[in-house]
Amino acid sequence: MSLDTPSESTAAQAEGGTESIDRRKLRWRRRLNALRSWGSLLKEDRLGQIGLAILAFFILVGIFARPITVEIGPVWSQVQPFSLAPHGYTDRVATEGLHGPTWAHPFGTTDLGRDVLSQVIIGTRATLIVGTIAAFMAVFIGANVGIVSAYYGGWVDDVLMRITDIVYGVPFLPFAIALVFILGATLVNVIVAIVLILWRGTARVVRSQVLSHKQRPYVESARAIGASDFRIMYVQIMPNVLPLISLYAAFAVAWAVIAEASLSFLGLGPQGMISWGEIIYDVRSAGALREAWWWVFPPGIAIMLFVMSVFFIGRSLEKVVNPDLRHGK
Amino acid sequence: MTLLTIDGLKMYYRSDDGYVRAADDINLELERGQTLGLVGESGSGKTTIARSVIRLLPDNAEVIDGSIDFDGTEITELSERALRKQIRWQEVSMIPQNAMNSFDPVYTVGQQIVQVIRYHEDGVSKKEAKDRGRRLFGELGIDPDRVDDYPHQFSGGMAQRAMIALALCLEPKLILADEPTTALDVVIQDRILETITGMQEEINSAMILITHDISVVSETSDRIAVCYGGRIVEQADAETIITNPRHPYTLGLRNAFPDIGDTDTDLVSIPGTPPELVDPGEGCRFAPRCPFAVDECWDVTPQPEEFDDGHIVECHRADEADELRERAEQKETWEEVRERPSQPQGAGGRR
Amino acid sequence: MGLREYVVRRILQLVLTLWALVTLLFVLFRMVPGDPTTRFVMEYPTDAERQARIEELGLNEPLYVQYLEYMGQLLRGEFGDSTHYREPVSQLIFPLFMNTVVLMFTALLIAYTIGILFGAAMGWLRGSRFERGGIVAVLMARSSPEFWVGIILVWLFVFQFGLFPRSGIGGYGGELTMNFVDRYVNFDFLRHLFLPALTGAIVYLATPALLMRNTMLEVLKADFVEMKKAEGLPERTVLYKHAARNSVLPLVTVAAIATGAAMGGSVIIETVFNWPGVGREMVASVSRNDYPVAMAAFLLMGTSVIVMNFVADLAYLYLDPRVKYE
Repeated sequence: MSLDTPSESTAAQAEGGTESIDRRKLRWRRRLNALRSWGSLLKEDRLGQIGLAILAFFILVGIFARPITVEIGPVWSQVQPFSLAPHGYTDRVATEGLHGPTWAHPFGTTDLGRDVLSQVIIGTRATLIVGTIAAFMAVFIGANVGIVSAYYGGWVDDVLMRITDIVYGVPFLPFAIALVFILGATLVNVIVAIVLILWRGTARVVRSQVLSHKQRPYVESARAIGASDFRIMYVQIMPNVLPLISLYAAFAVAWAVIAEASLSFLGLGPQGMISWGEIIYDVRSAGALREAWWWVFPPGIAIMLFVMSVFFIGRSLEKVVNPDLRHGK
Repeated sequence: MTLLTIDGLKMYYRSDDGYVRAADDINLELERGQTLGLVGESGSGKTTIARSVIRLLPDNAEVIDGSIDFDGTEITELSERALRKQIRWQEVSMIPQNAMNSFDPVYTVGQQIVQVIRYHEDGVSKKEAKDRGRRLFGELGIDPDRVDDYPHQFSGGMAQRAMIALALCLEPKLILADEPTTALDVVIQDRILETITGMQEEINSAMILITHDISVVSETSDRIAVCYGGRIVEQADAETIITNPRHPYTLGLRNAFPDIGDTDTDLVSIPGTPPELVDPGEGCRFAPRCPFAVDECWDVTPQPEEFDDGHIVECHRADEADELRERAEQKETWEEVRERPSQPQGAGGRR
Repeated sequence: MGLREYVVRRILQLVLTLWALVTLLFVLFRMVPGDPTTRFVMEYPTDAERQARIEELGLNEPLYVQYLEYMGQLLRGEFGDSTHYREPVSQLIFPLFMNTVVLMFTALLIAYTIGILFGAAMGWLRGSRFERGGIVAVLMARSSPEFWVGIILVWLFVFQFGLFPRSGIGGYGGELTMNFVDRYVNFDFLRHLFLPALTGAIVYLATPALLMRNTMLEVLKADFVEMKKAEGLPERTVLYKHAARNSVLPLVTVAAIATGAAMGGSVIIETVFNWPGVGREMVASVSRNDYPVAMAAFLLMGTSVIVMNFVADLAYLYLDPRVKYE
């Protein structure tokens, strides 16, 4: 972090009519430095390492859960042929339902004789898809609202911030429930419901961060040279708030996954997909909570581990954003 | 009679890069009721030395060697509890640089005085404790009713006086005054200093006065110790340090403040920055900034040498002091240091 | 900007936000795909009844007339009649809201009491094993969705140990006409309250604990902490009477905001434990197409959020007179 401030001002001083290779190099070096400073912090940050390892595990499980087939019109090809899950999530693998763990079915079977292990493995996908897409969109909107609001100030700021305040007045889950129920429980609607609320936090913090950057000399000099607003916002300021944005992206993934799981738990999860929250919904609707611990614990632990891994990564990013949190002197 | 004896103290801070030698081979003595001035730049170790007496140091501080004898008690071996109950504030109190920030903002000043009195003295009622605070306020020239005010309601000078009241409320044997007037207006600095010394005499307590400003200690101290790079490079009675200093650093410090020495010389500051205290290696720590450094200075750490009675200097050229003193008054002498290469060929250990 | 001006501005903002919420609600429940009127009256078996109901609800009027009537109704403090219970919504929703408030308030009280003490200790023991373990524990609790914590507690305390009731609010739960004291101050109610409140407490614990730790780290750098140590005061006094006391200020606002948010976050806990509150009622009424009830529940939860955000801002002003208003 300490490395990017001096190179920042050098970059701004070098700002000329044409983009010189030197400047581009400097900018890349600056980004690399931020990344590297996280990398070197991570070396000492056990929690961050554990978080990354768990997340990598879930991503691999999600990708290899079932074969992936890409279809374009009549042409189709299997881009990923592996199937980690031994069965489909609706396959009936046992004649009598609700059986505890066996060698054939390590997590047991559901009341309908389905394999719980396969359901949990395939359920990883819904989590990954909703978590990443919703978080990415929310942070994209939030970061842009924040940057534009802070950079232009005046009535633009007023309007955008009043909208943000209003969104802050909307209770998250009830809103998502109402929206998904009214529009239908599809993947798109679930994501939209989450995104519409989740962007507000990023917008506020990015705005306050950009406000302080707006005062810095490098923005002044860029403006003096006649750089366009767009350029100043996205080429000059953006890289400096990027660590903060990535921190909020990590948190957004966590909230999005929890929100999706909660909706699914209420039976409002995306139709045509199995998700961890929905498995627990099934346990409840089957009235098997007392008996079938093997059915309810794996998806619950999976949610917890996934969200935890993201929080761990977020914490280590937080140390990049706020060096005061680092341990020692 | 001796109140405090620090003998061969090495107080280091652990860090990722190794030990930071914040206080290295410290030898000091302080008589009852006397004032010792500890002078040096920030980072010279003067605060570490003073705070070692009450062990008020960061967690990574470690006594490597040496002893601190306070009135017959060995501080380095004292239990936390005994240290807290018997030494801190009861025997040794502190006047910090920034009084305003040193009061807890959510309690009144009176509440904080009452708290410390009642913790250290059994059987004192709240009312008695508060009355003592009011009396002290009166003696220090503050309206006694202001004990019920919150710290932010005080002005800087008033807060410092209130802090003095807090420091004196248990009549300690030793007061550590850490730059007590630096944060204040020049106009009231002297008055606060007079107040402190006046009260100190009244209760016959000793004081360690820490400052970067040699003119402050020259007026108030009986003895002066000059710190540089974690070592005491020169110590003697105040008169000797002012009129007959032997260490080049003391000569430089004297130049940096206008009140003492010859009035017609220009103000000269010592060029360069304080040394890195992680693994400083052999050689005099002042050599890179010293205009009189010779080859020996880079390679051999100077040992303390006693000149007249109690005048102890750590410098290879201390015996040439008369000549050096004259040259040190010239501005050019110090400016040459800036132009010379940072290290002569063959000298080891430092950059 | 003066204090008075700030407060006036903040009140205007409050009104604007409330209006936006109300409008959002109206739009949300008119967004139903297809004919928006059908879902409102699905419960009624015959066409004639449906038609009568549509007219009764004013659904045949132009949209802006419906909007104005809806606003007027709200200003009179009415929410219309429930299509499911066939009685005025306002009569049935407020006792439910009280149940939610009691549950969430208990949960937050536990979470903030323990969280503050725990967070202060974590900040104080910075870099220790206690701090590291505490952070992992707190993040683990925070990573668990409410329903998961609830299910674990049910599995443990109800199914394994049989210590607490599984669901509901107690023997008098159905009796909504009882007065406050009779309804909430009895042993049976407390037994029912325990698990859902504990669930909320576990999930909400992370925010105060982590925030307290972070502000503690800031406060511990302050000179007065060093000074209190120099005064020889015992560690616990310095920690809780001085450092923690100063760190608690920013938490007051966070607690206010959390209180608002908890009213909306109660949906899941109430569902897990069948707690008769607004959250569970909202889910139930949405799935029954009982829109007047759903809207009222949503509105109550949203209003709690907005009002508590407002309280948080004012509390901050009151608690720290040195604060500058933008």
